[in-house]
Parts: sequence; C-alpha cells; structure tokens
Amino acid sequence: MTGPPDPLDLAGRVLEAAGGGETQVTVVHERSLTNRFAGSVPTQATALDTVTVHVLSVVDGQTGGASCTALDDATLRATAGRARRAAEAAARSGPGIYPGLPEPAAGGGHDGFDAATAELDPAAAGAALAAAAGAAGEHGLDADGVWTAGDVRTAITSSRGLAVADRVTDAAMRVLCRDASGRAGFAAGAGTGLGHVDGAALAHRAAAKVVTGQAAGLEPGEYPVVLEHEAVGALLDMLGDLAFNGLAHAEGRGALVGRLGARVAARGIELSDAPRFPGTLPRAFDAEGVPKAPRPLIEDGVARAVVHDTRSAAIAGDGAASTGHALEPGGSAWGPGTRNLVLAGGGAASVDELAAPIERGIYITRLWYLNVVHERSALLTGVSREGTFLVEDGRIARPLRDVRFTDSVLRILAATEALTSAQRLVSEAEFYGTRFASGTVAPALRADGFRITGGA
Amino acid sequence: MTAVSVRDLLQDLLGVVPAGCDHAEARVVVRDSEAIGVRNGAVEWLESEASAGVGVRVRSGGAWGFAATAEMTPAAARGALARAIAVAEAQPRPAAGRRAWAAAVTGVTPATGTWASPCAQDPFAVSVDVKLDHLLAAEAAMAGDARIARREASCLSVRTHVTFASTAGALCEQTIVHCGGGLEALAVDGDEAQVRSYPSGHGGSVAAAGWEHLLSLDLAANAPRVAEEAVALLTAPVCPTGPVTLVLGGEQLALQVHESIGHALELDRMLGAEASYAGTSWIAPSDIGSLRFGSEPMHVTADATLPGGLGTFAWDDEGVAARRTTLVDGGILRAALSDRTSAAAIGLAESGGCARADGFARQPIVRMTNVSLEPGGAGSLADLLADTGEGLYLETNRSWSIDDRRLHFQFGTEIAREIRRGELGRLYRNASYAGVSPRFWGSLDAVCSAPEWRLHGLLNCGKGEPGQIMAVSHGTAPARFRGVEVGAGGGGPGPSEARCRTAAR
Repeated sequence: MTGPPDPLDLAGRVLEAAGGGETQVTVVHERSLTNRFAGSVPTQATALDTVTVHVLSVVDGQTGGASCTALDDATLRATAGRARRAAEAAARSGPGIYPGLPEPAAGGGHDGFDAATAELDPAAAGAALAAAAGAAGEHGLDADGVWTAGDVRTAITSSRGLAVADRVTDAAMRVLCRDASGRAGFAAGAGTGLGHVDGAALAHRAAAKVVTGQAAGLEPGEYPVVLEHEAVGALLDMLGDLAFNGLAHAEGRGALVGRLGARVAARGIELSDAPRFPGTLPRAFDAEGVPKAPRPLIEDGVARAVVHDTRSAAIAGDGAASTGHALEPGGSAWGPGTRNLVLAGGGAASVDELAAPIERGIYITRLWYLNVVHERSALLTGVSREGTFLVEDGRIARPLRDVRFTDSVLRILAATEALTSAQRLVSEAEFYGTRFASGTVAPALRADGFRITGGA
Repeated sequence: MTAVSVRDLLQDLLGVVPAGCDHAEARVVVRDSEAIGVRNGAVEWLESEASAGVGVRVRSGGAWGFAATAEMTPAAARGALARAIAVAEAQPRPAAGRRAWAAAVTGVTPATGTWASPCAQDPFAVSVDVKLDHLLAAEAAMAGDARIARREASCLSVRTHVTFASTAGALCEQTIVHCGGGLEALAVDGDEAQVRSYPSGHGGSVAAAGWEHLLSLDLAANAPRVAEEAVALLTAPVCPTGPVTLVLGGEQLALQVHESIGHALELDRMLGAEASYAGTSWIAPSDIGSLRFGSEPMHVTADATLPGGLGTFAWDDEGVAARRTTLVDGGILRAALSDRTSAAAIGLAESGGCARADGFARQPIVRMTNVSLEPGGAGSLADLLADTGEGLYLETNRSWSIDDRRLHFQFGTEIAREIRRGELGRLYRNASYAGVSPRFWGSLDAVCSAPEWRLHGLLNCGKGEPGQIMAVSHGTAPARFRGVEVGAGGGGPGPSEARCRTAAR
C-alpha cells in the first residue's frame, strides 16, 4: 500500500486529465477516528481513510459534477468526462446562470491544524473513554458518548489557475451521564485538537446536571430562559440557514428579507461569520476556493448582511459577489452557508449570574431536533434534552421535565437581556458524508418570553 | 473490479484474519448515483457519484472495531483489517462487574447467493437528455403565476452493489436500484412563503425500481395543481388550533410511523447504544410482548421483502436474510428492530435482520427496513371522510421534530383542509399537530383499506456516529385519530406511557 497521493498534486493531475474547458477539481482526503461508548463501556470504533475526487465542469453557465473514490488514471479520466458530458447536456437546455469559476485570490492562513491530533492514535481515544467512565463512576453514574478526531486535507485546482490546499484537524467529545432512573446530564467539548477534549472534565460537568429529586412539569406559556452555550449554538446554527443564506434571501423566503439595515436583535448583539476567530474551526477557503474572511452579520442588533457563493450572488444581482461561503463546488442548489458563526459574549460571569434576576423560569442545557415551523419568521420548534431545570427566585433550583419550545430565533435574540463573557465552541460533529468539521462560538444567554408549547 | 476479483479480495482478506479475532466480516460496496434537478427553466444540479471501497468489522480483544478504505487492493484491505483490529484492541476494558458491549452475537446461517432488486428500465441506461426533457416539461407546467418564486423538478437514481463475506462462511452479493423524483413549487407574496410538493416533500417519491417508477408519477400532469395549491396557500387562513378529529394523508402518516414507531423500536436505542446522538427510547426491551403502544386498529410490520421498498434487500449488512416481522399487533408491542448484537443482548435466538450501513465507509447499525402501518377496514379515503363528518385533513410533511425518547412530537404539513359534512372543504396554511406517541396511537380509530395503502420512500433518515443516511419505506393508508392537538402546542405536560404498560389481553 503506497498511501494516497498529495491532494494538491492529485487535483493538478485530474485537471490535466480533464483536457481543457472550464473545470474545477476538488480533492478531499479524510482520516478520522470515532469511538462511541454506552453504559460506560465502548460500543463502536470506526477508523476511516478515504479520498474523494470531485470534478465540476462549466459550459455556457451550466454546471455538471462527478465524483469518484478510486484514484487510478482511467477512473479519474472517466470522472472528468462524466462531469463534462453532464455540463454539456445541461447546456443543451439553454444557457445557465452560473457566472463562471472564481478567479484566484489570496487568502489568509489559520492555526487549525494540530500535528498531534493528526496522528489519530487509537490509544488517545481509549484513554478518553476510560477517563470519562471513571469520572462518571465517581458520581455513581454511567457514561454514554462519543469521542472523535479527524485530519482533513482539501485541495482545489481550476482552469482559472487556482491551486490551493488546506489541512485542518478537529476533535470533539460528548459525554452524557445517566443515573439508574434514566435522568441524564450533558457536556461537550470541541476544537482543533485533542487539548479541547478532556473526558474526565466533561464527565464531571455532565454529572453535575444529574440532580436527584422529582422533576417538575411546566405548563405551556412564555418564560424567562437561560440558554447554555450548546443551546445557543444550536439556535444560531439554524439561524444561519434561515436568515443569512443569500439564495433564500434572493428568493424572498429568507428571514431577513426587507430587514437588512433594521434592528432584528437586542442592542449589543454582535453576530458574525469569523473563520479565524479563536476557538472556531477555521478553514482557508470555501468549496469554490474563495478565501474565507470575516463577515459581520448583525451589528449592535442591526441586520447587516447575508452570505453568498458565486451562484447565489449571480441570482441576487445588484452587485452581489461571493463572500466565500460556498458549501459545494459551483455553489449548492440550496444556497451558501455560514459555518463559523461567532456570537460575541457579554458581561455575565456565569450562568448563575444570568439566572439571578429570574423569579420563575427555565434553564436549558441543550436543544434537540430543531426544525423549521415558518421560514420567513425564523420560527423553530424543538425540545430540551439532558439538563433542563426550573429557575426559582434567581437560582437554578430543581430538575424540570424536558420541554418543547416553538419560538423565533430572531425574537429570542431581540429579547436577549444578558450574555456570559465566556464563549464555547458548539459543534454537532455529526459528519454525514465526508467529514467537514464546523461549529458556532457562542456564549450562554438570558432571554425573556421563551415560548414553551408542550412537555417532553 | 470485476465481481470475481471482489470475491477473491474478500476471501484473501478473511484468510489472513488472526486467530485472536473472534469475528470478522467485510463488505465491498460499489455505488453509482445520479441526481438531476431543474429550477425555473434551467438545470440547477446534475451530479453523478461513483464510490467503491471495502469496510472491515472485527471483534478482537473483547471489543468491536471497524475500518474502511477506498483502495480496493489486497494490501489496502489487509491494512484496513489491521486498523480495525488496532482500534478495537485500543479500547478500554469494562470496569469490574460490567459486561462488554455485544460480547455475543446471534447465530446465523451463512448467507450465500446473489440477488437483484426488480428494475424494468435501468435508470442509468436512460440518457441525461431524456431525463432533462422530462423534468423541464414538468417544471414548466408549474409556470404562469408571478407569485411562484421557484419551480423545481428533480430525479434521483442510485445503484448499489454489495458483496459481503464473513469468517462465519457468508459470501453473498446483491444489487439494488432506487429511482424516483418529484416536484416542488415555492410561492412568495409579501411576508408569506408557502411550499407545495408532489408526490411528497423532501425529494419526492423514490422506490426500489427503475425509470418506470418516475414515469408512473406523471409529474407533468400534476404540476399545474401543485402550483395552484402553493399560490392558494398564500392567502388561505391559518390552520385552526385545538383538539380535533384528524385524518392524516398517507405520506404524512409515513413520517409519523417513521419517527414515533420505527425509531422508538430500534433495539440499540432501547439498550442505550445511541444515547450520545440519536437518543434512547421510551420503550424498554422488557415491554416487548405486553406494552400497549396504541389502539386495536394499530398493526405494524417491518418487512424487508416488500417489492419496491427502499428498505428491501435479500440480506442485511450482517448477512441475515430479509424477513417480515410483526412489530405491533392490535396495539400490543410484539417485537423490536434488531441486529445480531442487540438481539443477543436481550437473549433473542435470531436477529431481526435490520443491520444496515451507509456505504462502505460505515459499519452496520440497527435500521428500519420497511416499517408499515397495515391497512384497516375503513374503505376509501372518501368513505373515511364521510364517516368522519367534521375535522381536519392534513397532507404532505413540511417539518418534523420529536424528543430523544421518541415520545413527544410536533409535525407540520404543507397543507390542511377542513372536513365538513363528510367532505374536504376549504384550505388552511401553516398546519401543525403535536402529541405523545402512545396517546396519539391510542387515538387511532380507523385506517383505510388495502386499495388506499401505498409505500412511501424516505431518503434522509439520519443516525449513528459518524453519521449515516439511510433510505427506508413505510406503507400507509390514510387514517383517523381522535382528539389530536392541532396548532403550535399539544403534547401537554405529564408522562403518559405508564398507563400503556398493561398486559396484553
């Protein structure tokens, strides 16, 4: 076994094999390790080492794409041929709207690679699992969770002369501590390297959420809420697609249609897409090879911008240009996306301080199964999970049965009263398909009028 | 690689499994797919994927390990085997007094043979030009009203060839073809945006079939109605709220079955193995045989042998032969969805044959096959509506959310219609309903008869770490539920499952 070739060399070779025409080649080499555990014993371990080659061909504003995993010359040539024929077939239906591949542009570096993490040592995973199980055991609890680390190399070449390469690592761990009755607490850590995931510390944090005593119920209604970092991150992740997707905005279905320049959140709310912010999972360029750069989205509560890839910018017109947010070569049919959201912190020292003014309200660790109820108003529904508490007389008082909420993310931001100064990277680390680590840097916050619509 | 050389690769690999390995299995998966979408008179996406690789799963040193490589050579496969063993053996041993996970697996007759899903017209033999013409004609038939901001038609073709071998003596091959598509119209006016889809949301109707399935959908003939309904929804009144008698169309009911029955009955979830991501279940293994999940008309099966189902195969990804299992009979829970390890964990003699993996680079986990609500005796939809008198009819899923125990849910649909004097009446927009699984299924009091029963494909079922997407189908006929909370709300506080734990009579 010789091992895969250098991604940039391979991307150059495939571009040459494509034999001319407007072409972009993307090579992604993923190495990763994912270990799961339940009941404090390991359940699954998955080690991956795969290369994917994607070829995008452009003919008369129409695009065609093809991908493969085999790296022999014949397969690579055939893949380039499939992409070309697809674009030609599309062009026979008439000219398309794709304005052409982006010109090469200089981008900045980042510190998103950690050599120790890239070793993907199975022993590190085993040690983290053992540490989490041991710490949970100290509290008389079981631990469930996942530990994962990855090393992803990406290279893009194009007929416009683009030749860029990037390498990022990531690590994430989620720990749930559970008692015999099934009550659970949750904690997670994520970052560019193994230093961000401490199995024992996460287990202790999760165990602190497993509080004995009868869980209270809550009638539907509007309540003051303290949302921990994980919950805030999940809401912002959804908002990214609903409000800042330039294609949705151009099609008139985005949550900021007619609201750019208007106040959409409380004063002091600062939200940006910041690919090199400390603590985020950085990358050098988007899926079209356009350099990543910071983009303010909400400034002092006022909506400022949406994001674009080349395709959505062409549809939007009016001088719009790619902002480096393409999710797929040629731009995704569903539009661009924010993958490095950062919500600026506030002045609160802790979540306890956030809860202090609340007479009766809710504390939520984590939200689950968020989905859109009404796109234009950024109205979501979802449930709390693994760490929901009743706040009484300014104290996080006792466990609460999980709740269903139905509320608008923008309304929650408009009703935000305070944020913690400490931020945390919130990363789902789901990794469907090829690994693409991303996350939102978020503080915890307090908001008024959080709309509970049911129990869970 | 040729089929013969794939078999050679696997047999070479299994021949070098070290003696210390309790079990080893390998799958070579070769998958080709083509996705085409047109939007507003132009081609929006035209993508083909060709992936191939080998995934190796072992039990060694008291733990499980899996590794995958896309390099299909004997050396690379052996490298994957070594890596799988290394990651298995690097895991910590359970603390004293704890049992290792899945220390046993149910026995299985080694799978041998070949199989292919029925496919009258190979979708990969149909030219891209023909597909584009078909989609563009259907999409154009939605044009005409300026409020239609987006018209979309799409189709998908997937061919998967799997060769499976194991140290237990299995060596089998199967080829499965999926094909289908659909339409979507987005209408926008001022602050309102509404979507209407056909035959269903989220990618349309896909089945284990060839191009003939897409043709059978008759997209162009349905396109004008889809556009008209999208526009009509813009000015339709908002769906009323409160407890109502609800009739669910088959496609929405399919997702209801998926989320509140299928996932809740995955045995790995019940055992806590999915707690870190997808969640657990409100149902315990000890409930099997006695739990009242729903009312008398509730009969649910898992059937991997159904023609046309996206969960249909000859063998699952552990080499277990496809089967039909009764999950719920007359409202009483009879079985769960299981694989070889989860079945062994609760002492079952056989796996339920529900181990499925998303391609070569993922290991098999418990998955739905085709989980269906069996038809009842309520006749046609018209008969059911006539018998209902007053209520609401909801159709075509738009959004879905359910808690991590698969108990409390909220669904939104594209469209709602009043049921008045036994017939469909005016249109409503922004419909949603909520409930608690056993209470909701307990309120089922009528299911339409067999002629109304259809299989509905679902392409985007997510589970596992790293994430796996699986395609499944659910057979349903329209059904009626009493006293369902409609509007943003419902599923009020208080546990309800305790009342369901009564012995079957």
